[in-house]
Amino acid sequence: MKLKIDLDICQGHGRCYDLAPKVFREDDRGYVELIHETVPPELEEEARKGKDNCPELAIDFVN
Amino acid sequence: MTETESVEPNPTESGGVDLMSPEAAAAPQDIYRRMHKQCPVAHSLSHGGHVITRYEDVLQSFRDHKLFSSEMALHMGLGTERPMIPQQIDPPEQTRYRKILDNQFSRKRMKVLEPIMREQAAELLRTFADQETVEFNKAFAVPFPCRVFLSLMGLPQEDLDLFLEFKDNILRSQQIEPDATKAYYLRAATGKRIYAYFDKAFDRLSEAPEEDSILCYLLTVELDGKKLTRNELLDITFLFLLAGLDTVTASIGCFVSFLAQNPNRRQELVDDPSLIPNAVEELLRWETPVMSVPRVTKRECEISGVTIPENTMVSLQCGAANLDDEEFVDGDTVRWDRKFNRHLAFGGGVHRCLGSHLARMELQIMLEELLKHMPQFSLEPGKKPVYSPGIREVQVLPLKIG
Ligand code: HEM
Ligand code: SF4
Repeated sequence: MKLKIDLDICQGHGRCYDLAPKVFREDDRGYVELIHETVPPELEEEARKGKDNCPELAIDFVN
Repeated sequence: MTETESVEPNPTESGGVDLMSPEAAAAPQDIYRRMHKQCPVAHSLSHGGHVITRYEDVLQSFRDHKLFSSEMALHMGLGTERPMIPQQIDPPEQTRYRKILDNQFSRKRMKVLEPIMREQAAELLRTFADQETVEFNKAFAVPFPCRVFLSLMGLPQEDLDLFLEFKDNILRSQQIEPDATKAYYLRAATGKRIYAYFDKAFDRLSEAPEEDSILCYLLTVELDGKKLTRNELLDITFLFLLAGLDTVTASIGCFVSFLAQNPNRRQELVDDPSLIPNAVEELLRWETPVMSVPRVTKRECEISGVTIPENTMVSLQCGAANLDDEEFVDGDTVRWDRKFNRHLAFGGGVHRCLGSHLARMELQIMLEELLKHMPQFSLEPGKKPVYSPGIREVQVLPLKIG
């Protein structure tokens, strides 16, 4: 599973890296960075949790 | 939603209720639900414009800063002489300032402060945890955020009372001066004192810098190769004062009042403190201490079937959005195990609360320390909490301890 983030939309709420710290991390301003672009199967659930809690809908799965 | 979409805006109030009354502030949840059903976009006298209540509408309005502008300083009368930065300005200017401010309030930066905050919370709690009763607002909810704020800014703790006077004179002027004209002059006069206070603080800190002080950072940081002017510095710090104290005080009051009235829910957190971070999010959703946020339309638009003219005040009802059952499964229940919680208690879009990471940490630490120091508490028998509207500060929160 691959993740895509839209940095124009991310506003640094930090829900993703708070709830899914193995998949997302924060940059110096508190905006999202991907640790894994392709999420290993064992982290898929965590990735989904981060994605589904983003209030800005800045995270998506591709294919 | 066809039934609701065809409803005409109510010409008097949002569904016949005044959201800006103390009664509504005490228990707004029922009113929000009625608003969703009766008029998702209503006309309100107390807000002086249109009131938007559905989650999807509120989120989209937050995200469309070109249509829903924040530039309305003159409408607000908060004692300011210029728009506050960055809340009352629009991109691209607003974005320039956020670029230098975000890192000072990032989660990473806030984590460093955790031990200081925890000690400040514990110190206050120790002053009353062994009493039989306490008025929690005055004893904790008011001083805690103010102490944290002073540390963060690098200002002396002795300025606590002065700070509280400043923000009450601006945000609660009508309680101090019921006469509208006198209240206006109180805000104007206090505004001048706030500018003068920070002006002096900046002079002092340029001479003798404090370590880790956000004000010192602001004095040295460059924006497009230039240092900030004194007016820019003052327009940022004026906002810090108004945005960073009452909001957290209100949240603490709302949270503790809820737990005082719901002993089972309180016990669940005492038994398993690992639930606290989720509980903070759920209580932010349920209580939404900052009920709404203002905007002004840049052109005519249509929201949920209602036409809103150009240049009209609009109130984005974060509290109502946070109870919308189209977004939140089982939204009427407070659940510590809620999996998806995209609440808008900190707003959204480019103006997303700059202090959200600080606020979350303060609230988490507050609950952890509170439940450790005084795990049992309830409302004092025969007494009622008193809420103020807009920012839902629980101005009187009488607790029985034990
Ligand atoms: C639980 C406590 C808090 C709540 C519920 C809250 C809520 C909000 C909301 C809803 C907004 C959006 C306003 C808008 O879109 O016009 C906002 C903006 C803001 N908040 Fe907070 N806030 C809290 C704590 C804080 C703290 C502790 C600070 C510290 C300085 C702070 C600083 C700001 C600033 C500077 C803005 C303006 C951001 C911008 O316009 O770019 N807030 N807050
Ligand atoms: S939750 Fe969404 S807006 Fe917040 S940091 Fe993550 S991607 Fe960005």
